[in-house]
Amino acid sequence: MSSIPWPFPNPAALRRYVQGAVTRRARRWAKNRQGQDSSVTVLSPGRVYILPTGVGIVFALMIFAMLLGSMNYNNNLSFVLTFLLIALGLVSMHQCQRNLVGLELSFAGAEPVFAGQAAEFRIAITNLSRSRRSGLCVYTDAAVSETGDLKRGESRIFVLPVVTEERGIVRLERFGIRTLFPFELFRAWAWLHMDLESIVYPRPADVAPPPPASQTSHGHRQHDARGEEDFAGLRKFHSGDSPRHVAWKAYARSGQLLSKQFAGADISSQWFEFDAVPADDPEDRLCILTRWIVEADRTGEDYGLRLPGLEFPPGHGDDQRHRCLEALALFGDADMRSAHGEGSDGAG
Amino acid sequence: MPARPRGTDGSLLPSLPWTLAALGFAIAPHLAYLPPWITAAVVGCAAWRYAIEKRRRALPTGWFRGLLALACFLGVLGTYATISGVGPGSALLAIMAALKLLETRRRRDQFVLLFISIFLVMSSLLREQYIWSLPYLVVAVMLIMTAWLRMSALRTESPRDSLTAGARLIGYAAPIAIVMWIFFPRIATPFWAVPIDTSRATSGLSETMSPGDISSLSLSNEVAFRVSFDAALPAPRDRYWRGLVLTRFNGRTWTGNDPFMGPRAHEQVVPIGDPVTYEITLEPTRQIWVFALDMPWTWTLPRTFMGPQQQLARSQPIDQRVAYRAESYPRYRTDVELRRYARDWYISLPPESNPRTLALAREMLEVAESSSAYIEAVLAKFNAEEFFYTLEPPALGSDPVDRFLFETRRGFCEHYASAFAVLMRAVGIPARIVLGYQGGEVNPLGGHLIVRQADAHAWTEVWLPERGWIRVDPTAAVAPERIDSGLSGAMFDGVAAAWGLSAPSQWLHQMTLTWDLINARWNDWILGYGPDMQRGFMEWLGMDDPDWQKMMLTLIAGVGVLITLVSGLLLWRYRAPRKDRAAALYQRFVKKSGVVPTVGEPPLAFAQRASRASALPPDTIDRITRLYLETRYGSAHGDAMARFSAAVRALHFAGGKKAA
Repeated sequence: MSSIPWPFPNPAALRRYVQGAVTRRARRWAKNRQGQDSSVTVLSPGRVYILPTGVGIVFALMIFAMLLGSMNYNNNLSFVLTFLLIALGLVSMHQCQRNLVGLELSFAGAEPVFAGQAAEFRIAITNLSRSRRSGLCVYTDAAVSETGDLKRGESRIFVLPVVTEERGIVRLERFGIRTLFPFELFRAWAWLHMDLESIVYPRPADVAPPPPASQTSHGHRQHDARGEEDFAGLRKFHSGDSPRHVAWKAYARSGQLLSKQFAGADISSQWFEFDAVPADDPEDRLCILTRWIVEADRTGEDYGLRLPGLEFPPGHGDDQRHRCLEALALFGDADMRSAHGEGSDGAG
Repeated sequence: MPARPRGTDGSLLPSLPWTLAALGFAIAPHLAYLPPWITAAVVGCAAWRYAIEKRRRALPTGWFRGLLALACFLGVLGTYATISGVGPGSALLAIMAALKLLETRRRRDQFVLLFISIFLVMSSLLREQYIWSLPYLVVAVMLIMTAWLRMSALRTESPRDSLTAGARLIGYAAPIAIVMWIFFPRIATPFWAVPIDTSRATSGLSETMSPGDISSLSLSNEVAFRVSFDAALPAPRDRYWRGLVLTRFNGRTWTGNDPFMGPRAHEQVVPIGDPVTYEITLEPTRQIWVFALDMPWTWTLPRTFMGPQQQLARSQPIDQRVAYRAESYPRYRTDVELRRYARDWYISLPPESNPRTLALAREMLEVAESSSAYIEAVLAKFNAEEFFYTLEPPALGSDPVDRFLFETRRGFCEHYASAFAVLMRAVGIPARIVLGYQGGEVNPLGGHLIVRQADAHAWTEVWLPERGWIRVDPTAAVAPERIDSGLSGAMFDGVAAAWGLSAPSQWLHQMTLTWDLINARWNDWILGYGPDMQRGFMEWLGMDDPDWQKMMLTLIAGVGVLITLVSGLLLWRYRAPRKDRAAALYQRFVKKSGVVPTVGEPPLAFAQRASRASALPPDTIDRITRLYLETRYGSAHGDAMARFSAAVRALHFAGGKKAA
């Protein structure tokens, strides 16, 4: 029965198509008239759009019914009620739009993530005015930040998660800010085109062979051969740690069992080389390299990375980790690499 | 379709009490009219729902709610036998709200509850429009809107903030609403027939009269109507407000004309002397009778006709307050001819009932020689013999007229009118009973006359050859003060005496009159703001020849102006804090440098970065940054500010030159 051809397209699909086409056109139009935004943008009244919500439409229908009823009964008190609600609707429309106008939005950076994780774009919104702004959130097609209020003069960061699939650079060409305040009768929103981007590291391989032993440059010392000269910090107690290294004072304070870490001159360092990874596919190699770097970083060992045409001398710490992983993320993308290489050099 | 989860997580706790409060406030005026089981259902569901939320229990299952809904619907149908009209309508709304509560799981489900609340407020306004209804509706809207805000508010926001925000928005909306209310064109004719709420008890006149059945007349102080006279008020003894006419008597009960029987030929009224013109504001009676000073001549109430016995009736019951102008002739003469059929009708009595009365009538007629002498004799009998005017007469059994005339001799207007009419008919004088009001109290503050339900009265009309129908009020023979001073005046004295008060009663009376005046103005100016009054008001405002297009344009213009004002007010509320000059100058410098500062970057860090990235010379950047920090944190003298300002200006000037 269901296979009988129907001359008309599926209404749901048609609606989706029309909706999509309208949205695309509207967005293109908005982009053309607003142009590219700088990374700090103050919302002007001309770029805050507003439309009634579903609740608003039901509210309007209800008021229309009430108006007809009032006219029919010639009841002046229900006229008062009806007009008060109409006026509230009109006022809430202006309130809704004003709730956005004058806000300052800026990009507060995004933490790099591994492919498959959500990249969190941090949008700072500053309320430069003397009154409270209520019920704000930023959104993309796929994600919505949590809703928040801003007191006078307050600045707050709204986190926008963007799903990532592949290593490289994830871009956020457009995001929106919207509010339903006060009565959810209207939705006011603004589109921003800041062209934000964030680094996506390769996905760490789930299973990876241990780094080739030949690549460790300072002999075969593993982390049990860690030095005992200089106190370097505390980490969580693992079974097998020497009781001599347990930080008993810290345990007395916090109740948490911690092990003292010592850094000596003889800490091991190793080289991870792209060409030496036991895998055929370059992407797989990158994943395995990522995994190695993550592991090495966790244990605090020194490591160096050698990619074709690019070399990072052994080291450890967040900078080292970021530089290496970024190189992996942008591997093979010549333009990107040079652009970002310069940028990170400049910053460091 | 997957079943919706029924569990609750307490996320409604901040908003639910407000929604329940709004709903409760909206239902409150209906409580007096709702059957108790609906009130119980609403209160029960509200308490149940709150407990569910508080203890994080699950909501009742779908089939249970379905069964409950069906039972409640049948219950309403059983209680009212219909589902249209204000009464069953509000009962259904209340039930819907109660049942909706049981499936309200997310915050947004509460929208439906708030919509129902608004409809409940609206239907309570359709039912009654007292002065306190206006503050009531404003408070109700405030509560509903606050609940609305609570629904989308963050958990951190205090209810006080929501209340303030709601009140502020209502404050902005109020002037717009007032302009719309004034200029929205009113229409005279409804679109569809107004369903009548028959469940409401009224204290209007009874349409039949059975003296002896009721043993006490309820003296309601409720206002029946108010009258403003154009010129002087007629004398108290002329204040007979004609209502309906009863022409048939079955020995116990007087009833009106059967529509298909009885005299239907109109009697010709011949006015004598000058007319009295006045305006009546009649409270709703749910009856068709329209009251006017005896004898009405013209009236302005539409669809109102004069019956064969000069009673005014509207084709539709009066279920809203109406105002109309009328013209009456206190002195008049009716057609002297009475056809045989009509004459027989007006003298017919059931033969077996009240035999002693019939005998008495024949005796008295023999003594008196003419009809008019006979009437005088009957009135004299009422006056001279032991007849008492009382509002609490003993009940009369069978043959009530006999018992009244020969045994109890105590009664109020109905008893006297009935006995008199029977005595007239017994000897062949055509007679009938008129029901209406008599008297009324003058409100010296407003200059109008208040006629209350307690002023309800019954009197008789007899027909005499050569004179036509003449009004005879037998009560006046027994208790002339009832006619001269009216009932209400006498009653107040009585109440005061009973409580041992004399001075405060005056004060109380004054208060009552003031309250009445406020009510009268409320009725005239707010509730009575209809097409005519609106037209008058528009002309007073200077609009010539007002029509609905002009009013609509004025409305749109007025609302537009007010909305612009509101928009400006919001702009002012959201204005930027006072610009601090140093910060503004520093911003100019930052812009000039062409380097975008990162969020929260301190000036020194920015300077360090900018001296490498910017086109500006590093020493300039360094100098300006130091000057800026000096204006900020240095000693408070004007020198640093001036130098800072000069430095930034010079920068601008240099940049401008370079560009040129």
